[in-house]
Amino acid sequence: MHISDGVLPISVTVGGYAASAAIAAWSAHRTRSEELPKVAVVTAAFFVASLIQVPFGPTSVHLLIPGLAGALLGASAFLAIGLGLLLQSMLFQFGGLTALGANALMMGVPALLCGVFFQRFKGRTRRRQAIIGGLAGALGTALAALVLALLLATGGEDFFGVAKIALAAHVPVVVIEGLVSAFTIGFLAKVKPALLEPAFVQSEKAAPCLR
Amino acid sequence: MPEVILVVLPAWQFAALLLAPLAILVAAAAGLRRLVRRRGAQHEDKDWSVPPLADAAGTTLFHRWDIRCKLLTLIAYSFLVASLSRVAPALAAVAVSILALVLARSSWARVLMRLLAITGFLAMFLVVMPLTAPAHPGDTVLVIDGVDWIGFNLRGLTKALAIVAKATAIALLMEPLLTTAPLPVTLHGLTKLGAPDMAGQMVLLSHRYLHVFRHEAERMAAGMRVRGFRKRTDLETLRAVANFLGMLFVRSFERTERVFDAMRARGYRGRFPAPAELRMRKTDLALAFAWLAIGAALVVYDRLSG
Repeated sequence: MHISDGVLPISVTVGGYAASAAIAAWSAHRTRSEELPKVAVVTAAFFVASLIQVPFGPTSVHLLIPGLAGALLGASAFLAIGLGLLLQSMLFQFGGLTALGANALMMGVPALLCGVFFQRFKGRTRRRQAIIGGLAGALGTALAALVLALLLATGGEDFFGVAKIALAAHVPVVVIEGLVSAFTIGFLAKVKPALLEPAFVQSEKAAPCLR
Repeated sequence: MPEVILVVLPAWQFAALLLAPLAILVAAAAGLRRLVRRRGAQHEDKDWSVPPLADAAGTTLFHRWDIRCKLLTLIAYSFLVASLSRVAPALAAVAVSILALVLARSSWARVLMRLLAITGFLAMFLVVMPLTAPAHPGDTVLVIDGVDWIGFNLRGLTKALAIVAKATAIALLMEPLLTTAPLPVTLHGLTKLGAPDMAGQMVLLSHRYLHVFRHEAERMAAGMRVRGFRKRTDLETLRAVANFLGMLFVRSFERTERVFDAMRARGYRGRFPAPAELRMRKTDLALAFAWLAIGAALVVYDRLSG
């Protein structure tokens, strides 16, 4: 779920922009400038992935994949997610331009945490990687839902009801996301394990970025 | 302080009050979707690998407006609109946005698509907020006779309506803001305004490859359908979707490597040539001031009317 324009208090939207700009600058600093095109293309792939609908009973949910993004991109994940959200709001109005900072925090911070979690515990066997990947996927979505609820709750007590409903709506998504992430990581571990190495985008030496 | 005003309604009226807006919303969303789909069907063979945010052949006010001025003005204006808190000023902002749409001669199909995208999220506010907003002194709450665990708070409804109006007003402005100049020029303008150069480049590249990968995903999905795959709520579907995702990543990573090598071979060293020369005229600034004055007026109206 993306927060649209006009929902959050103006101080929270501006604060969200400031915080996510700072984290994005750090994330860009950790990404080598020659590797930026790679991050851009990966952003596009994640974007397409997030358009996939998974049926859930009578309705369907779409994947959010902050967990997977974190696991695959490491520190660059925040940059990729921020840009992906910017594009989503420019092209499809998923989330508004004024709420972009808040949305980037909501998806990007969980992605960073999941990336650390995945790289730290992934182990060597494929089975373990799949399980940890699944946990990272579930954790990423759960954290994103939690941040969403907290952001909504900043609007005052009138928003508490909406925040609770939004949190509850994410429970099935967390389960689906966890399972899909586990299978995807398992698939990648079999087909192209190089992708699961720590932050493949910043290969050997981390030269300072030119910007 | 006046007490909470309770208006007791029979159960059927209360139910109608809840269901009627919901039904209207669902019907509106379905109608919009059908409209968009019908429009989409007309140019089905359009090549989506060509970025669509680029029909800049117009000569309207918005097309001629200097990109830096336009970005700064409209984004600042969006924040002003987002800071409104009452329904009437927010509705006035919607009217301003519609005026902008007419001035910019935007494509209504795309405008409708944008509105459709935010319907679900906003519907949640419209439905949930009146029922969950706590009753303050002076509020009017509609309740069912003899049922005290649920009440329809009119203050919650007005708050939700203000949110919906604000979101609509800003969403409507996005078409004049983004599609009246080609995307590279818009991003160039953002860079000139102080955004890091690499962010603009990355958005440009992502935007280009987004359509390539969407194409790829559609081809893969078609292949799966041909082999008899149907989406259901079970573990097998999730496994298939996960493999689909994994394959999409593998293919796009491999493609990325090749694209990147090709770019470097052509001399890419971390920047693209500037797409356009920007010139700021007096009229650009005048338009910016006028527009921001409208925004400021809306904010003043918002504060005074309370």
